Amino acid sequence: MEKLILEETEDTPEIILDPEEGKFKISKISVPENALDFYRPVLDWIKQYAEEPNIQTVFDFDLEYVNTASSKQIIQIILLLQKVSEKGDVKVNWYYESIDEDMRALGARYKKLVTVPFDLVEIE
Amino acid sequence: MAKESTNNLFRAAYDLFQRIGSTDFEYVYRGYFNHNITKKILILADKNVAKVTDESQSTLQKRIYYIMVEGLQNITHHQEEIANDRNFDKYPGLFAIQKSGERYFITTGNIVANDKVDELKGRLDVINSLDKENLKRYHREILTCGTISDKGGAGLGLIEMSRKSGSKLHYKFEGLDDEFTYFYLQTQLPSDDNDVADESVVHSHCSMEGLMSLHHKMKAENLQLLFNGFFNQENLLSLLAIIKSRSNMPLTTIKISNVMVEMLQNIIKHGAKAEDNNVGARGVFFLGQTGNETILTSGNIIHDDAAGVIAQRLEFVNGMTKEALSDYYDDILLDFDSTDAKKTGLGFTDLRIKSDRPLKYEFQPLDGGGTFYLLQTAIKTTK
Repeated sequence: MEKLILEETEDTPEIILDPEEGKFKISKISVPENALDFYRPVLDWIKQYAEEPNIQTVFDFDLEYVNTASSKQIIQIILLLQKVSEKGDVKVNWYYESIDEDMRALGARYKKLVTVPFDLVEIE
Repeated sequence: MAKESTNNLFRAAYDLFQRIGSTDFEYVYRGYFNHNITKKILILADKNVAKVTDESQSTLQKRIYYIMVEGLQNITHHQEEIANDRNFDKYPGLFAIQKSGERYFITTGNIVANDKVDELKGRLDVINSLDKENLKRYHREILTCGTISDKGGAGLGLIEMSRKSGSKLHYKFEGLDDEFTYFYLQTQLPSDDNDVADESVVHSHCSMEGLMSLHHKMKAENLQLLFNGFFNQENLLSLLAIIKSRSNMPLTTIKISNVMVEMLQNIIKHGAKAEDNNVGARGVFFLGQTGNETILTSGNIIHDDAAGVIAQRLEFVNGMTKEALSDYYDDILLDFDSTDAKKTGLGFTDLRIKSDRPLKYEFQPLDGGGTFYLLQTAIKTTK
């Protein structure tokens, strides 16, 4: 499957969805005005990937800022990863800086809402 | 105001909003200056100037930029000169850019040692007494034989500011204590040589006296950031960058940023936009500190009939315990079918969860029609 790479901008995250390299990562900042439009191609990509995923998928979230509009799109990504887990192993890593309580809390919220293996990983 | 608000910041936001024209703005930063903050302030100011000037004014835009750079460098130089940072904590620096009609006012403020005041005042008076030709000559004189300090001193920056703006350097000294004096410096562009007469009428809030009075208010309420102008995604990102550059309180900074994004994006999305500008929704935003709390205050125009729904949603989140709110948050997070229109959205829910006290709000009728919607959140400051 063709990889999907989006470079970070001032208000949107860097996105790497690369099955060949086995790298799946959303990082940096996500505060777009229109989160729906931004995440649509990402959700479409994962939907398609769920049909025939790698044996193992490790999906990393390493975000600095997330607005609420993005948080609603991110839960959809995670729910799609749950779908991926029907055909392959999936593990989600949610990275947060040790001082960032809000980011930890958001990760904990997602973890609670899904059944896919979900790790909260403190950095620094 | 229909009914005088008991909230000082709400009152101030309302007054500031009402006093400027629909294409005007005033952005004021009060606090510690470092290279990063200076850079971000420049970006914010320059982008906003660019938005309201056209191509024929590119020279003006460049001059404004130049004056801002000189002014900001002045502040950091003074900051370095005064060895003890504690003094700067006590008497923070000031940068302001105001647009009123076709005129721009750039004001800086910083402390100087009392024994330097006379020398500085002397220099300013010399510069102000010279016409264009003589200023040029004076500039060359200092360049070739003046004693130039390692900070590029000898008033070169001041001379350049005067030359680039074609304006007199307006200044004011305000005694602080037996050691320091506060030095205000203001440049006006385009050159004010020709229309000094009508100035007090049109631009009084930007004049030196107007700006000083604003600064005194900011001091009294301990405001660090005053934003009276246009809310758009670009300005939000610039503000976010400025907040982030104040690196002294990392934890609080993250919390402030998160709350600020929700507050301002709400305005960008729902705030009523004036018909005569395409720059964004007009509004006011303050960042201030009271005791151990950081207070974020916003004000913007909404349609009169929107107030009821907003009040209802705010009461809804204010009336819930944090636990109930958290459960509610999960519900909306997983509710992909409903359109945002009827339900209280994630934004308000998130704000209430992150704010350390109930959300304060108020609605005030505006003179020109529409309703001014004020919102306030608070975050406990932790080092």
